[in-house]
Amino acid sequence: MTRTLALFLCSLACAWATPALAADTIKIALTGPYSGGSAPMGVSTRDGSKLAIAEINAAGGIPVGGKKLQIEVIERDDEAKNERGALIAQELAAMTDLSGILGSVNTGVVMAGDKYFQEKGLTKIIVPAAGSKSMTQWATPEGPKELFIFRFAAHDAVQAALVVAEATSRGLTKVALFHDDTNYGVSGRDDLLDQIKKQGDKLTVLTQEKFKIGDKDMTAQLLKAKALGAQAILIWAIGPEEAAVSNGMAKLGMKLPLIGGWTLSMSNYIDNAGANGNGTMMPQTFIEEPINARAKAFIEAYHKAYGVTRIPSAVAAAQGYDAMLLFAAAVKQAGSTDSRKIRDALEDLKEPVEGVIARWEKPYRKWDPADVTTHEAFKREQTVMGMVKDGRVVFANEADKARLQKRGAK
Amino acid sequence: MPLQVVLQIAVSGAFMGLVYALVAYGFQLTYATSKSINFGQGELVMVSAFVSLTLIGTGLPYWLVVPLGLLFGALLGLAVERAAVRLALEQKSEGWILLTIITGLFLFSFAENVWGRDDRPFPTPIPGDPIHLLGVDVTGLELSVLVGVLAVMGLIELFKRRTLLGKAFEAVSADRDAGELMGISATRTVMLSYALSGAVAALAGILVSPITTVGPTMASAMILKAFSVAVVAGLESGFGVVLVGLVLGALEGLASLYIGSGWREAPGLVLLILALAVRPTGLFGKAVIRKV
Repeated sequence: MTRTLALFLCSLACAWATPALAADTIKIALTGPYSGGSAPMGVSTRDGSKLAIAEINAAGGIPVGGKKLQIEVIERDDEAKNERGALIAQELAAMTDLSGILGSVNTGVVMAGDKYFQEKGLTKIIVPAAGSKSMTQWATPEGPKELFIFRFAAHDAVQAALVVAEATSRGLTKVALFHDDTNYGVSGRDDLLDQIKKQGDKLTVLTQEKFKIGDKDMTAQLLKAKALGAQAILIWAIGPEEAAVSNGMAKLGMKLPLIGGWTLSMSNYIDNAGANGNGTMMPQTFIEEPINARAKAFIEAYHKAYGVTRIPSAVAAAQGYDAMLLFAAAVKQAGSTDSRKIRDALEDLKEPVEGVIARWEKPYRKWDPADVTTHEAFKREQTVMGMVKDGRVVFANEADKARLQKRGAK
Repeated sequence: MPLQVVLQIAVSGAFMGLVYALVAYGFQLTYATSKSINFGQGELVMVSAFVSLTLIGTGLPYWLVVPLGLLFGALLGLAVERAAVRLALEQKSEGWILLTIITGLFLFSFAENVWGRDDRPFPTPIPGDPIHLLGVDVTGLELSVLVGVLAVMGLIELFKRRTLLGKAFEAVSADRDAGELMGISATRTVMLSYALSGAVAALAGILVSPITTVGPTMASAMILKAFSVAVVAGLESGFGVVLVGLVLGALEGLASLYIGSGWREAPGLVLLILALAVRPTGLFGKAVIRKV
């Protein structure tokens, strides 16, 4: 009797232990700020990725080595703090069975942490951090010949190009540049200046105004811009301070177009700016309008899964979703949970991936230190101009909307 | 730069300066009776703002939330006094420095866990639309800061001069031991000063939140500036903090206009260093002769 019981217990224990042993799941880490000023982006990215994971798991998982494996998620909140990011990166890099990492919203966090993944040979898709430096840091002559870091976001160079083009196409000539003093804000300012030069110096920058995270009184900066005769404000910062700029403009009776990075679509910009935010424009990769069947299904699934009526950051959610699909496609093609093999597959995806933003055909190529776009998925054509209207982001240009509607009809 | 722009920047800065002055006044109140300062005053501002926001969320009208918020601030002030200050004072130690900092850190974590780390808008019936006054745009919100700050400081100063309790307050401020000999309970007076200080902090939170939004870090920058104001003005003069607050706020705006927006914080620090070097008792402070 005792023996049977012991045997039974043993088998129970074994059955219990097996799932934890070795590669019965594909372990993927999701990181990002799930609290603080960047939280709308972090949370939306994570939830978008988890939506994709739930769909993949519900369909049985990804076939690897003859059996279908489920995806297991490890979540880490980096609180948008560089030092937290570095710590988390070290922790994840020390794990032996991790297949890859998706996430990071803040350029500073990327700069602090990604070197550990690169050293360890862990594949990471940066989503949705857009700061140019996140990728250009690797694109130097002495940089690595093999890179494990990919990006899935309309990086700042693409966004800045769009912002400058929009300002020019509106016939503006004199602008003021506003930015915060974080890595993101400063590198965004550089991208804007760079793009203004590239697009033929059609815009004159009257002044560059800087502010800190937490600054809520923008009167001095705004009045300076006004006194100098600025026709528009181009801005690179995050939601709460951008809202302070909009509210400050309303207070001073300034009616200038505000155009800037995609953070202007964050809920903490839209909510804090309220009616003062109407008309603000920013580049978007995804707009929460059910314009085609794929977008409609995604938006409805997100709303249902997380009990919201508006995605905190629709761009981040859609990018988190599509990035996860790309990663899953790479795992499938590699037929392995080994991060190096997944990297090789990502660099050469054979089958197109039908995402919610676009149909991704060979989004990445073999890494070339001389060409950072080999590991950048987004081109100008996957990016559209969005505009804030009564608490939501809508298409700024009808032409973009029509183009995307066609995609669903095909 | 046109004069009007300079004037507008100075005026807008000065309104923010009034908020620094109000927080600095909170320092003065407790310093007067107990020679102690609540280094967690910023967290009192922030937690009171969050509590008021929560009260507004329950559907209470703004005009009812303001007194309730002040009451909450006063209670919080009493709690700080009991938890962090009283024992240290009884032992004549400087333990209150660390203890008030720790209380502040505790309140900060508390707020992060209860209300989260996001900045939130603070709804108010006071209109945010600009009013044109003497060539300068001023919002109703900014005027409410002016009215609120002056009214509360005026009331407290009146209370100190005209009521028996207020006179006890002044007596303990002047000489704690002599006050005790006259039958005034110093402990109670210190409690009163912390309650008043807490209420003042709460008012600062309620007045500034509609302009700056509410978040756990909302007061961290403010508190340093308030401290500069208190030190520059001296820890005795209520009139002094208002004046220094106004000037500091205006200087911040002007610095960011003329030197560059990265230099905004500089005037406060320069003033602080100058004050400490030239007049350690503050511009409006009285040099105390210590008799041995």
